[in-house]
Amino acid sequence: MNDRRMLGRFGVCAAGFLLLAAGLGARLAFLHLGPHEARRERLDQLRQFHEEISGRRGEIFDRSGPGNILAMDLPVKNVCANPSVILASNAVASVASQLAELLSLDVDAVAVKLNQPGRRYVRVQRFAEADLAAQVDASGLPGVYLEDSNVRHYPYGSFLCHVLGFVNYEGGGSAGVEQRLNNDLKGQSGVMEGRVNAFRQEVYLSRGLYEPGREGHSVELTIDRQVQYIVEKVIDGLMQEYTPMGAWCIVQNVKTGEILAMVSRPAFDLNKFFEADPQVRLNRSIGINYEPGSTLKSATFAAALNEGIVTQNTVFDCENGAWYYKGKLLRDAHSYGKLTVAEGLLKSSNIMTAKISLMLGNDRLYKYLRAFGMGEPSGIDLPGEEPGIFHPPSKWYGISPTRIPIGQGIATTALQVLGIYCTIANAGYRMKPYVVKRITDPDGRLVFEAQPEVVARVIRPDTAALMCELLAKVTEEGGTGRRAGIEDMRVAGKTGTAQKPVRGGYSPTDYIASFVGFLPADDPEIGIIVVADTPKPVHTGGRVAAPAFAAIAVDVSRYLGLQIFNADVATSDVVLPD
Amino acid sequence: MRDKLIAGWALFRKSNWLLTAVVAALLLLGVLFVYSACYISEEHEVKPLYLKQLLWVAMGAFCYVSFAIMDFHQLKKYMWGIYVGSLALLVMVLLFGQTIYGARRWLLFFGNLISIQPSEFAKLSTIVLLAGRLGDPGVQVHRPAEIVRTLLLMALPAGLIMMQPDLGTAMVFVPASLVLMFVAGVPFRYVGGLVGAGVCMVAFVLTTMYLPAKLGAGEPLQERIASMSGLTDYQRGRIEVFFNPAKDPLGAGWNKRQSEIAVGSGGLRGKGYLRGIQNILGFLPRSVAPTDFIYSVIAEETGFMGSVVVLLLFSSVITLGMLIALRTLDPFGRLLCAGVTVMFFFHVFINVAMTVGLMPITGIPLPLLSYGGSFMIVMMSSLGIMQSVYIRCDRRASYQ
Repeated sequence: MNDRRMLGRFGVCAAGFLLLAAGLGARLAFLHLGPHEARRERLDQLRQFHEEISGRRGEIFDRSGPGNILAMDLPVKNVCANPSVILASNAVASVASQLAELLSLDVDAVAVKLNQPGRRYVRVQRFAEADLAAQVDASGLPGVYLEDSNVRHYPYGSFLCHVLGFVNYEGGGSAGVEQRLNNDLKGQSGVMEGRVNAFRQEVYLSRGLYEPGREGHSVELTIDRQVQYIVEKVIDGLMQEYTPMGAWCIVQNVKTGEILAMVSRPAFDLNKFFEADPQVRLNRSIGINYEPGSTLKSATFAAALNEGIVTQNTVFDCENGAWYYKGKLLRDAHSYGKLTVAEGLLKSSNIMTAKISLMLGNDRLYKYLRAFGMGEPSGIDLPGEEPGIFHPPSKWYGISPTRIPIGQGIATTALQVLGIYCTIANAGYRMKPYVVKRITDPDGRLVFEAQPEVVARVIRPDTAALMCELLAKVTEEGGTGRRAGIEDMRVAGKTGTAQKPVRGGYSPTDYIASFVGFLPADDPEIGIIVVADTPKPVHTGGRVAAPAFAAIAVDVSRYLGLQIFNADVATSDVVLPD
Repeated sequence: MRDKLIAGWALFRKSNWLLTAVVAALLLLGVLFVYSACYISEEHEVKPLYLKQLLWVAMGAFCYVSFAIMDFHQLKKYMWGIYVGSLALLVMVLLFGQTIYGARRWLLFFGNLISIQPSEFAKLSTIVLLAGRLGDPGVQVHRPAEIVRTLLLMALPAGLIMMQPDLGTAMVFVPASLVLMFVAGVPFRYVGGLVGAGVCMVAFVLTTMYLPAKLGAGEPLQERIASMSGLTDYQRGRIEVFFNPAKDPLGAGWNKRQSEIAVGSGGLRGKGYLRGIQNILGFLPRSVAPTDFIYSVIAEETGFMGSVVVLLLFSSVITLGMLIALRTLDPFGRLLCAGVTVMFFFHVFINVAMTVGLMPITGIPLPLLSYGGSFMIVMMSSLGIMQSVYIRCDRRASYQ
């Protein structure tokens, strides 16, 4: 081969090399200098991470402070996945089967979740337990990662469920105190920004921003855990014995308006709030308007006494139990002849109450009932309170003045009815009820402290004292509420047995039985109302609600140290050895 | 002794200074960027990898000097021995080799103390043998029988390497041998025919993989036709990923994508030495950053300017190699030089091309820059041979 030919061949090779090298150079120039500025920024963004650190939600305590935690946040992990990565890796089937096995889920359901092209985030399982989360983390499945989260935990399950409320999946309080005080309870979420490496782990050295989340404020309730427990037990017993559709009960400090216990049945486990029916979640103590029946009579009696229209000794003719007014028959449960006002209250005479009401006149009746709090929300610091139904006299029917005083044609909540008795017990001062005693920030500084608040002065103290005296007789022998009486202490109260309104009239079989009162009658401290919706087989307030009231009164008064020992009873109980 | 020193000095003065300088510059860059690729690693074995690379550089330099001093004609005497020896090593690696990532590529001696990659040595020994045979005036290179023989000599080590399996390394033998044959004077129709056959093969494989789908054939039919290409699923997967990296972003597509991002994010001037985010944050897998993907690290940290400078340095080595081959009167020396240059070129080309996403990813390291002992020794020996040819380029008849 001659040199020229060889030179030619070298030239061909060199040209080939040059061509290939030029190709590389072009590609390099394209990659390095090409229109990638925007992409570069996007890539940088991809490598940044921005994470919200959820601030822990504040805790809820009972009135004794941080010792008794009723609601708290627990840190948990959510198992999440990035479907687009998993799909692109063609690993849906294997990831789904492994995840399903780890988390004991249905394979097909997981696969459906993962098989969503274009989505970058699905939550495979919420609130995975710690050891499961660790296993998922260790499995190293592509596109699967853990997410920090907090779960609201209620150590006592269904205890105080309607007052506490719960927190929904988005972290917002959805009922009760959790809802009302959401802004105080919820923490302020912090921010963390930095770089992640190829394994989506944070590069600690290049953390750009770290603002720790702020824990929410903690809330102390006026609820007393012991009182609440006592009440829940009694109401559960009532539920079992009389199988009502529902039962509710409130215990209130008459002097301050603090709610010591608030129970509504049926109840639900707060940790499984999502399983509960809305009807179950309803806080019946403040969320149900019902016709209060006889329990409302005290308001009319107090109004008439306060106005001086009657005295306790004024005699009324009770028409032997049947009285026509404007062509409509009004009956008493038992027929009575002539009764004094004191006896009429004791016997719960409908006819006498109607007659007193007519003497009062519509405007004064309306004014007093409004002053006692009918027809408007009590202003308690809980969501979902009903205002009751109480129309002004301009909308009344002819017989309304004889029916409203006995608790028909008017609807109230249990809290409103209890308010009447607490007002009577508190020398005529109506206090605003409340459940939040104190709010403190995470450093222990006071944010809010509730002060007792007088809403209205409804009756004079002497009228109130007289009413206390009259109502105390109700629980003695001969009164409708004698089953509410307890040994050693005078208790004041009133029964209520109201027919439930149905289409076109009143149900002959379904009643709302209630008892409301306060104790000790001589120096009232606490007011209690017990309501049972459609109890069977007995249905009167005296038979159903009064015993429950008594059971609560005994234990609560003993727990609160209200017991005033009657010397006679004390000695008779103790047999001294000779 | 004094005579030897004088002779040595004479050789030293006759050597090609530019080649030595360029090689030294590349070696220095190699050590610097192996450090850059590894300094962030938390593994205590990886972090000081640049120190081991310094050791390899020292050993490589020794080989470079030794081969430069040695008369390259000596190689012709031992070329069969070297060839058979390297074939024996290739067989041994198949029998006793250390399996890493599913392929037997390494031979371990003295426990784990020394590990060598016989396929690297086979590259050089094959080039030496082919150069020796094609440069022999007694061998009639234009006869088909001789061409077949040459191809067989090339196919033997390539086949053994393919069995490891290491398709990428085996493939380097093909263009290197073809160019060598072409330069040696094998008639154009044969070389052209072989190249044409190769192109047809690639076209056939791609056709079986993609044409049925384009024509709307069903999945089973596509699968049947694709399997006719003779490639394994794994190999076909690699090719598919090359054409469509989004198909498997976490698996095989990852390296390609991240390497392109690394190069692209370098911009004109780069991010600065030791500041390659792709590498620091582990997007460029740490296991390959100092070896097969060292060029991405360089490109990201030094930008377009740096990567072009490196490419120019490589081009200088290749240009020098071709000039030396042209200048050499001795046919064996010329073919040796050409063979070494071609091997060097294809390593640089394939490695850079895969780094910038122009070729499927294969385990071809970048000469003088990538971390690795066997490859460093082989490359430095090759360049030493090139230097030796340069020193003796005017001595045509010394062997004859």
